[in-house]
Amino acid sequence: MDRTKTKAAPAVALKISPARAPEEHRLTVAAKRGEPGVFREIYNAYRARVYNLALYSIGDSAQAQDVLQAVFLKVFRGLAAFRFESSLATWIYRIAHNECRDHHRRRKAPFVPLEAVLGSTDEVDPQPSSHEQHARRERDLIIQRAVMQLPFKMREVVVLKYVEGLSYEDMARVLGCAPGTVASRLNRALAELEERLRPFRQLL
Amino acid sequence: MTCLRFDLRKKMIPYIEGRLAGPGTARLERHLLSCDFCRALLVRLRTGHQMAQRLAWLSLAIDEVPQFDSGIAGLVATGATGRAWPSTWPDRLEALATPRVVTVLAAVVLLQLGLLVVSNRAVLLGEHSRTSVSTGSINLAEFRQLTIPELRSNTQPHVATEGYVEDVHTDEEEGTVAFRLVERPQSGSSFVVCEIMSPIQMAPPPEGSRVRVYGVERYDAQQDRKWYEVNPVLNIVALKP
Ligand SMILES: [Zn+2]
Repeated sequence: MDRTKTKAAPAVALKISPARAPEEHRLTVAAKRGEPGVFREIYNAYRARVYNLALYSIGDSAQAQDVLQAVFLKVFRGLAAFRFESSLATWIYRIAHNECRDHHRRRKAPFVPLEAVLGSTDEVDPQPSSHEQHARRERDLIIQRAVMQLPFKMREVVVLKYVEGLSYEDMARVLGCAPGTVASRLNRALAELEERLRPFRQLL
Repeated sequence: MTCLRFDLRKKMIPYIEGRLAGPGTARLERHLLSCDFCRALLVRLRTGHQMAQRLAWLSLAIDEVPQFDSGIAGLVATGATGRAWPSTWPDRLEALATPRVVTVLAAVVLLQLGLLVVSNRAVLLGEHSRTSVSTGSINLAEFRQLTIPELRSNTQPHVATEGYVEDVHTDEEEGTVAFRLVERPQSGSSFVVCEIMSPIQMAPPPEGSRVRVYGVERYDAQQDRKWYEVNPVLNIVALKP
């Protein structure tokens, strides 16, 4: 792995769609049959989502890549003991969440702001688009930065809901808490986000 | 003045998203008519929600995510636990195909067939509108009674475990309270970290007291450590010392 990189990718308007249920089912069957390459497929199906979560949680691409590796190592080792009490996706998210949180606790270093991760907004746009699209991206990046500066637990619940698209029940499974706790934490996070972005309200 | 209707406030995001069922909507709207505090919060949450929704399309670049071959294959091959794995994928899969694994995976597939379709459609199909809030869905019978050392081999999420309370502390920034649960006071043996995520609704127990915690155990296939983690979700019951 290239550890020399200190900057993550430019933010590209790329929505990573959740894996489809039949696809997840197929992967599970393939794992059961011992089909060659199934771990690679599982990795490829979930790597972007895990990386997204790690990058939002940690704010540094090299460290997010380390977390990504650690997560999939646990996924591959844990498959044998895994009883599938949740879906494969939820289980992988849960491992990722735990790994991010351990990383966050171990590090105790100042949080790296999003600017350092994404680079300047000039390099964000691979193909200069229309003025309006560019302006919109600028506005969205302000929101993204504000999210990255929320306390860890608030950030995580926002990312799980709005980036990864999880339900309250699945967020609860991932975070190891009750759905009601997810709801109140999400309220705190959104109220905090609103407050932090209030000065930019006219701009946004 | 604040308002104590935490129950209604938990429904505000589903309400904003139009996912709250009719009776819930009516209850919330009735309350909003008479509560300035909740009305002001709803306005803030709606704004926060609209802003957060814009994260969805602004995801990070997939090109930056390492390919499988870069480091993962090597790591899996050598392994953190020191067990050498076969070097090719078909061999690795053979190594995995012990009777236990095959049994587990067979059970898994059957379960998945049902569970995937029923409970995870919302996530897997991206059908956000199907999601719902059910805060009262926890059932006492789901909690497996385990001693602290037994947590080591547990893979079930809901557990009930007992011990003495030590080191109660608050995380101001996160708004949580955490404590340790030990088998015997000052024994230095394995312990459980318990984190209360909604301290308003669940008070932390006093230090030195003996309690039973009904919670969700963290499970991530890492079994070589001395501590475990159970987040109280249902209750913390005081016991006789
Ligand atoms: Zn109220």
